[in-house]
Amino acid sequence: MDAVLIIQSLISGIMMGMVYALLGVGFSLTWGVMHVINISHGAFGLLGAYMAYSLLQYFGVDPIVSAAVSVPLLFLVACGIYQLLIRPITRAQNVVMASMILTFGLAIILENVMAIIWKADPRVLTPTYSSGALILGPFYFQYPHVVGFGLSLAGITAIYLFLKKTYTGMAVRAAWQQPEAARLYGVNLYWISMITFALAVSTAGAGGICLALLNSFEPHSHNLWLINLFLVVIVGGVGNVIGTALAGLIIGVITGLSMAFLPFLWVNLVTFGLLMIFLIFRPHGIFKQEGI
Amino acid sequence: MLSVENITVCYGQMKALREVSLEVSTGQMVALIGANGSGKSTLINAISGLVPIAGGEITWEGQTLKGLTPDNICREGIIQVPEGRKLFPAMTVEENLIMGAYHPNVRKQAQESLQKVFSTFPRIADRRRQFAGSLSGGEQQMVALGRALMAKPRLLMLDEPSLGLSPKAAAEIFDIIRGLNKEGMTILLVSQEVMQTLAITTYGYVLENGVLALKDSCDRLLEDPKVKTSYLGL
Repeated sequence: MDAVLIIQSLISGIMMGMVYALLGVGFSLTWGVMHVINISHGAFGLLGAYMAYSLLQYFGVDPIVSAAVSVPLLFLVACGIYQLLIRPITRAQNVVMASMILTFGLAIILENVMAIIWKADPRVLTPTYSSGALILGPFYFQYPHVVGFGLSLAGITAIYLFLKKTYTGMAVRAAWQQPEAARLYGVNLYWISMITFALAVSTAGAGGICLALLNSFEPHSHNLWLINLFLVVIVGGVGNVIGTALAGLIIGVITGLSMAFLPFLWVNLVTFGLLMIFLIFRPHGIFKQEGI
Repeated sequence: MLSVENITVCYGQMKALREVSLEVSTGQMVALIGANGSGKSTLINAISGLVPIAGGEITWEGQTLKGLTPDNICREGIIQVPEGRKLFPAMTVEENLIMGAYHPNVRKQAQESLQKVFSTFPRIADRRRQFAGSLSGGEQQMVALGRALMAKPRLLMLDEPSLGLSPKAAAEIFDIIRGLNKEGMTILLVSQEVMQTLAITTYGYVLENGVLALKDSCDRLLEDPKVKTSYLGL
């Protein structure tokens, strides 16, 4: 086999994986901290992508710049959704099940709203640099991929620092690991859940923008994204941010390599065969329970 | 300082506490003893706001705690060290302690308090970068105590601080608790270790099946024939 091709697809896989990692981290956090499995996570990512698309198409705003507006906007929208829809169901007997049903409905609503606004045609983000490429010796990387990778890396680093260095971020981890003790030391679980949910949704938006720089997208793309999110979170361990990020990279690399060397129809077979194997042998993920 | 008047707590149909009253005044160390399942933890969880009360009233410095959530009660300076320690296992010792100073009133002094806790417990200072889940039971209890001290308690409630510890570690913890009270800390100590508890406290309450069975000074409780047979096995 050609070494250049292997390395090229390896690096492409890492770039793709970093984007999945960014999308997966928020999915993992709401699951771990709030026991909310947010089926609409991918749909919010797609919403971020469409917002970037419109701002680019009609106002010529670069996706990196527009992310600075759309991501905080999604944060606020998510706070509202939390208050209106998510908070009531966290009192349910079975939060996991209730949250899946609720957010499944939310995903369908979002998908249809997006189909109405942006039509069902596939879209691509074509920023000014979309035809350019970074050439490093024998390797070749399209600029949008490089930007998507960089943005994802920045997003994950920001989440990591938030969780590790700020009081609110530490409270998020504390509430996940030992909710009762967190309450005893002054953590308001509702407040922390709202922050977690909003953070997850807004990073989903950022991840969606990054993914849109790599691939074309249409209103139902979030279904496929979601399946990949499950894969990333199950491999990385629920609630484990570093694990999720690493799992994103691993899965990106596996996908990248199988795309390069296997017939296209085999790619999903390989990745989801992997998911089955994980669910049977290491249902808690490849890493120890401890994480961030 | 703290006064619990005739409180009743229900878990579904079951009454876990029935019209229980208790007083703690400033600087005092009060014991709350009783067998497993007698309602000791329920009582301090009611004070902390973790379980709702069905009747009666809890007042703190003349004001009712009714309707306050645990985070608000924590802000008042009523701090609980929960049974089983309940540390944040995947956070480091230092992060666990810092979380103790989460509420805004004490957050600014966190670094100062951290140094103080480390000088009180040099053993956990050496382990500050380790995950709390990896420590021994005695060390974990020190972290739990340290985390509570970070919150600058005005009333410290300890739930079974010696549970699951070796006799040596338990004795060490009781020494620390006595030391804290000597320095002026108001303490409500919940324990099944009746002898050790009554030896360091001044006043005690005995719970039985959710009802207050006895209350008296600890010297007299130690002499009480009922306490002797039921709890001391004499």
